[in-house]
Amino acid sequence: MVDPQDLQLESTPVVLLVDDSQFVHRLLDARMRSESISLIGAFDGKSGFERAVEDSPALILLDLDMPIMDGFETLRALKEEPKTKDIPVIVLSGMDSSQDKVTAFDLGAVDFVTKPFELTELRARLRSSLKMSALLKMLAQKAQIDGLSGLYNRSFFDDRFTEEYDRAIRHNHPISIALMDLDHFKSINDTFGHPAGDIVISGVSQIAAQECRSSDIACRYGGEEYVLIMPETSPADAYTLCQRIRERCEATTWSQHPGRNVTLSIGIVGAAEGAGIQCTPAAMIELADRNLYDAKKSGRNMVRASDVNGAPINIAKAS
Amino acid sequence: MSAPDPNAFSLDINDPEDAELIEYFLGELPDRVDAINQASSSDDVDQLGRLAHQLKGAAPGFGFPAIGSAAAKLEGSIRELDQSTEDINIVRAEVENLVLLCQSYISQTKSSH
Repeated sequence: MVDPQDLQLESTPVVLLVDDSQFVHRLLDARMRSESISLIGAFDGKSGFERAVEDSPALILLDLDMPIMDGFETLRALKEEPKTKDIPVIVLSGMDSSQDKVTAFDLGAVDFVTKPFELTELRARLRSSLKMSALLKMLAQKAQIDGLSGLYNRSFFDDRFTEEYDRAIRHNHPISIALMDLDHFKSINDTFGHPAGDIVISGVSQIAAQECRSSDIACRYGGEEYVLIMPETSPADAYTLCQRIRERCEATTWSQHPGRNVTLSIGIVGAAEGAGIQCTPAAMIELADRNLYDAKKSGRNMVRASDVNGAPINIAKAS
Repeated sequence: MSAPDPNAFSLDINDPEDAELIEYFLGELPDRVDAINQASSSDDVDQLGRLAHQLKGAAPGFGFPAIGSAAAKLEGSIRELDQSTEDINIVRAEVENLVLLCQSYISQTKSSH
């Protein structure tokens, strides 16, 4: 499940101040103490840019009038770099020039504050920018999250799997995916009603999310189907993880239907370290689906795994 | 934005945070004055402009709006100097004015210790 910490609403936001004047650093250090932010600093545009890439602050306060790399150049660089382009920038300037303001906004600044600043005003502007960016971030994440399960949704999976797949190929690293399908789910809906079915969907999501390691990516694939992306994981290790999920699911008692447990069938496909992959992401999903079908056909409530060539992975009597 | 209201920047020496800022600023000021004098005597107009610009932006926040205005005047004159050949004496007079003002604050601190 998506970690709420990622939304940056709870944690203390880091604010980066880029200004060549020691005075300004000292002033804001003292005057921002009452704000729930953590202030870090840089004294020129170049190191400010580097600091932003490294620390991904929640907000940048950027002075315009700096020697060597000035504020506009720095702003341009920040907006061109994928890692920093979405960080809101408030421009600080000793020049009260409309042309500068227009340029700053054109280059992507969210606000413009003239020095010497009224500190209550700066604090208010800072708070409002931080709030706005936290909400935007949340919105962007919401669009990737499945409402019922709290897992990532299908469109997120499609993008993310392609990325992880490309990375695994590039570095010749292991990668596995697992398709998981609830057994006889329709009968739960039919017998106990759709609300009970929804509880099962989200309950199994929770089990999967809890069993996954932080590097695994759990997504809802469709109706009663889930998919796990397991980067850096051989199919044999994926098998162990999926067995744990399957066992916990089977052992869970549901308060809406205590006499009826819920089981999962799982199909895994993956490449071990150095095995090399010579297929496409779509072909990998198709193989996982075939293994899932095999698990269903062989009696359900089991895990079937193969390598990317379709050769079964035999785990010594694990199930 | 309208001209800053000097009263918006008045600090309270009895407030610990304000006192810390005032003390810091006064501690830094002698070095700044030296740097301004040096830039002025070597006719380093760019450096002089930078120093004035920084003081203009910072001094009011530390409770010294008068220094801020004097620095702003100096910066303005230097800017004029870039465009026309206005008499350099105006700049020199602004420098002297700013330096004297800073020194009066510095000597006040010394005598109060």
